[in-house]
Amino acid sequence: MRTKKENLIKYKDGNLYCELADIWIDPSKPVKRALITHAHFDHFTFGCEEYISTKETAILLKERVGDNIEIKTFDYGEEFKINGINISFHPSGHILGSSQIRFIFAEEKWLISGDFKLQKDETCKQYEIVKTDYLISECTFGLPIFKWDESYKIANDISEWITNSPEKTSLLFCYSLGKAQRLLNEISKTNFNGNIYSHGSIYKMNNCYKELGIDIKDTKKIENKKKIDELKGSLILLPPSLSKGSYLKNFKNIQTAFASGWMSIRALRKRSGYDKGFVISDHADWDGILDVVKKSEAKNVFFHHGDSDVLSKYLSERESINVLFFGK
Amino acid sequence: MSLKKFSELFGNLDSINSTNKKIEVLKSYFLSNEPINNSWAIYLLTGKINKRFISGRYLKNLFSQIYEYPQWLIDTCYLKVGDSAEVITLLLKNKTTSRNKELSNISLNELLTKKIPTLSKLNEEEKNLEIKNLWETLPEENHLIFNKILTGTFRVGVSIGLITKSISKLINIDEEIISHRLMGNFKPSIDSYEFLINKNINLEELNSKPFPFLLANSFEDKIFKHSIDEFQFEWKYDGIRMQLIKRSGNVSLWTRGQELVNESFPELVEKMSYIKDDFVLDGELLVWNFKKQIAFDFSLLQKRINRKSSPRSIQIKYPIIFIAYDLLEINGRDIREIKLENRRIELEKYFSKWQNKTKNNISDIFKICDLIYPKDWSDALTYKEKSRENNTEGLIIKKKESLYASGRKKGIWWKYKVDPMQLDAVLIYAKGGSGRRAGLYTDYSFALWKDQELIKFASAYSGLTNIEIKELDKWIRKNTIEKFGPVRSLKPEMVFEISFEKIQISKRHKSGIAVRFPRITKWRKDKKINDADCLEHAYELMKKIS
Repeated sequence: MRTKKENLIKYKDGNLYCELADIWIDPSKPVKRALITHAHFDHFTFGCEEYISTKETAILLKERVGDNIEIKTFDYGEEFKINGINISFHPSGHILGSSQIRFIFAEEKWLISGDFKLQKDETCKQYEIVKTDYLISECTFGLPIFKWDESYKIANDISEWITNSPEKTSLLFCYSLGKAQRLLNEISKTNFNGNIYSHGSIYKMNNCYKELGIDIKDTKKIENKKKIDELKGSLILLPPSLSKGSYLKNFKNIQTAFASGWMSIRALRKRSGYDKGFVISDHADWDGILDVVKKSEAKNVFFHHGDSDVLSKYLSERESINVLFFGK
Repeated sequence: MSLKKFSELFGNLDSINSTNKKIEVLKSYFLSNEPINNSWAIYLLTGKINKRFISGRYLKNLFSQIYEYPQWLIDTCYLKVGDSAEVITLLLKNKTTSRNKELSNISLNELLTKKIPTLSKLNEEEKNLEIKNLWETLPEENHLIFNKILTGTFRVGVSIGLITKSISKLINIDEEIISHRLMGNFKPSIDSYEFLINKNINLEELNSKPFPFLLANSFEDKIFKHSIDEFQFEWKYDGIRMQLIKRSGNVSLWTRGQELVNESFPELVEKMSYIKDDFVLDGELLVWNFKKQIAFDFSLLQKRINRKSSPRSIQIKYPIIFIAYDLLEINGRDIREIKLENRRIELEKYFSKWQNKTKNNISDIFKICDLIYPKDWSDALTYKEKSRENNTEGLIIKKKESLYASGRKKGIWWKYKVDPMQLDAVLIYAKGGSGRRAGLYTDYSFALWKDQELIKFASAYSGLTNIEIKELDKWIRKNTIEKFGPVRSLKPEMVFEISFEKIQISKRHKSGIAVRFPRITKWRKDKKINDADCLEHAYELMKKIS
């Protein structure tokens, strides 16, 4: 039995783990039972005996890795019990199906934020404020230099970027799941009305989103042997992995851009090698993280994935919040 | 509108990699703005504004006070961003939205002639208030430019050559002419811009144009087959290759990069103007050790060339000399088509005439290069090996019958460089870079073995490719032993080949030696740390040379 002082959830071998329920959250190695917050590959690993996630996450995952995995699914807000612990998923606003996970045991609440954002995004459910005693939050962009503009502004910038160079083919690099669909949704509201093409990996995810009832613009799948004239003035969405190497030789007269929160820093932007950077992220910015910490009413907070020292020091100086550290 | 447009221009120039595209962007900027603002834009882009109105530290402190941000938090952000002006710009974002943007139409001219100069007349309290006020009334997209000008860190990837090219294309006039017009004290004004884009060329401008430079090729073994008597031998100096032109009484100094550098070396311009004849000389500019009669290191020359002006004190501290290799034109007569050996005779003849007949002493700033006369090729090799003693890089070998062609013409001039000195050393510390390299570990320290201990002997920043830098950065993060502020001590594991130009005793360093221009020439992944060199090797290298 757990002693009073031991934490319900801790860090073990680089992963979040709840010993009492023998549950791992987004484990990076095969385990018995894994809760999956969302369908990005860095939160998923093959070979677990049992996966548990939201319905949308399960569908997206199966689309990406194939049907031969077993996933148990629950709706947002639906509670289930493992070893006496009440567990539930709540929308985290990161991508379609993404969730925060709440654990309740002996009247003590624990909340794992998962990857999250507060910004408006019509392609997934809005972040839900969940009250908790203990909060484990990501802090990928945990510095005050990170402040996001509203996404319609970025979409307008992208639209202008394409239409200002009508003789060029505009290649926009973005993560194939989540970011790409959010961009498509936003771009459909701008003045840009040229053709949009998607790389196969993105195209597949687009279809999945549509089947799940998300409104995004139709795109054509990019074929390797497309006529160059046909692509003039159009937008092509590609995953970042294709930005280096020979793939770009398929096109002539291009301009390239990367859509990512990291593009707000000039040095990173210049070093990245893209012609342009659009600052848009599916993670919370500094104010977003602080907002969530505050509204969750957590008295104890852990940070991971990012500059946790900075947020910890800031919060302990400013707020009466107890910032804790995982023993490594 | 125009400050906004300039911010846009800055953003574009900053993100475009293609030179042609940059020229297009500049051209269209010049076409769509008023002369006065164009004039300021050129002034800024060519780096003529280098005054620091306030320091980066001051800016950060001020922000910290006004918006109640802890200083340590701003410093942490700085480590990630690498530029004070940019950190403050990012932190200001959304901070000032509530205020009205009364300065939304301010012009570049107004900012630079009114708003910013006023700051230096205010006392500290008023100054702080005014900066805050400007932050709140300038539109957000102008904050970066404003902060950069304030802190004297306005820089963008545009050379004076690129500006020259754009203006040249804009009005269809040779680059050399534009270069000449941009020289000297280009002051931002309507007149100066209109002069710059004037389509009528006057005679003086035509007279300043240099000839295309003739460049030496790398040494080829096949030269050994020829008789040594066919060649002229000179020391290869490590300075700035230059054409020194005097026509119709006016002196111009042109570098190989088509840059006019009269301003950096006013004493040379003045003294050469005492000579009665007109001429075009090809030669090398050096900072000269008059006691030993050898050149100082190139790094001292950089102290001269990087300055916008050269006051007397700097001229005395870093005394220069122009060493002429060749005479290309004399009193209006182009002699590039006669043989080198005959040009040399002319050069010597005129040089001695100038020395004797010029009223003011010119020999303290101008000489002709001494020739070397090796007996045979093995003697030439011996000279080459000795070149470190007089701080030269090796030999220049020229065919006596060569005409002065242009470009890197094959088979007439060769450079025969002495090999760099090298040691294999172990990476032990890394420090974060700044500016473009912010957020990456790019400043490295290397060590050599002494008994069982690794002793630091050199630091180097350059030599790795961007891909290697990224790879090494990842490794550094995973293999850190300890952090001391921005510096990390590392697990000794990686071996690099370090090349350098000079090695000497130094009491300031624990290793007892100091090396010049250390740089990474190879990542020796094939070597283990036990294969790295020991300090003894370095001492031996030093003995061999002295």
